Amino acid sequence: MNEERELAINPIVLTSMQHNTQVVSNIRSLTASLFGVAAGTLGMESYTGFVFYLIGTLIVSGLIFSFRAEGKASEYFHRPLGDLWGGDVVSGLSSFVLTWTLFYGLVRA
Amino acid sequence: MAQPIVQTIHRDPALFWWILLPITVVMVLTGILRHYAMILLQTAPKKQTLPQIRQQRSLVRGINLRTNARVLPPASFQARKAFMVSAYQEGKFLADPEARGKPRPNPMSDPAAMEGMMGMMKGNMAMMVPQTLIMGWINAFFSGFVIMKLPFPLTPQFKSMLQSGVGTRDLDVRWVSSLSWYFLTLFGLQPVYNFILGSNNSATQSTQQMAANPGAGMMGPEQDPDKLFLSEAENLEVLEYRWVLEGVEDRLVAKFA
Repeated sequence: MNEERELAINPIVLTSMQHNTQVVSNIRSLTASLFGVAAGTLGMESYTGFVFYLIGTLIVSGLIFSFRAEGKASEYFHRPLGDLWGGDVVSGLSSFVLTWTLFYGLVRA
Repeated sequence: MAQPIVQTIHRDPALFWWILLPITVVMVLTGILRHYAMILLQTAPKKQTLPQIRQQRSLVRGINLRTNARVLPPASFQARKAFMVSAYQEGKFLADPEARGKPRPNPMSDPAAMEGMMGMMKGNMAMMVPQTLIMGWINAFFSGFVIMKLPFPLTPQFKSMLQSGVGTRDLDVRWVSSLSWYFLTLFGLQPVYNFILGSNNSATQSTQQMAANPGAGMMGPEQDPDKLFLSEAENLEVLEYRWVLEGVEDRLVAKFA
């Protein structure tokens, strides 16, 4: 009830929220593909590749946090933890695997 | 223990040009084609008569009143609520007041309902047909080639799926045939479509069908508008109303304190 009252006083604009999520999702899918290219070219295999992806997304999250959100994540995201730090990590994984496999196949195997 | 021997296969570079690249290009183009096919297949919403539009919109009006109630001062909200509730209960907005209380006709016999189902069918068909066609095409032309090595190991259960058409028992599961590249592109191309076609494209999932017409979804032909009105009246009655400006002086003072 208290949170509802808080939301009524400081409402969240749905359009802006969608726009922010869209920006994060675009950055994520682009960087995931590029990480895939890097991992494939470096010839990473199995766990190394996935760990590389996780570290990469963490760095990208940090960059979004400091440059796009200017260090004030709670002003841009309703739930900063889920929307900024963890947003679209899983959906980026499929495109990461795609480019990883492609470049691994082209360069190494 | 010695290291397990790593299987290596020397593959013709032509495999890349004649299998990997064509499949990728075809998958991207199919996604684009599907996007435009969905746009073409979308039927324009049917023209409705004035009372029907009024019936739909007045329900939406009640919902809007309910969601935005907090910005109205108490007197205005009470007046609007009283008006909407009494109008709903009397059935003032009904498109066809005589049909009140009668059982609804069978939705299968209603042409409007059939049209909605046809739209959904079309969306599903636009997904299914290209997928089956491309899988058939890949199976017919490219089966039996080992084209690439996955960078991560898999359990042997995947062998029958990923190495379909390759009849070697002892080959490592990481060597996969063309069909698995098809699956990888099927799941991984969404960002590519996002960049080519813009977001909320219909290349893979058809989720935006829902957002086509607000109110139309809530008032499908199979639902009784009178029942919807009565339940909306009830929702308005039980709404816990709080004005957003209530206690604003204290908040303002607290902000500048």
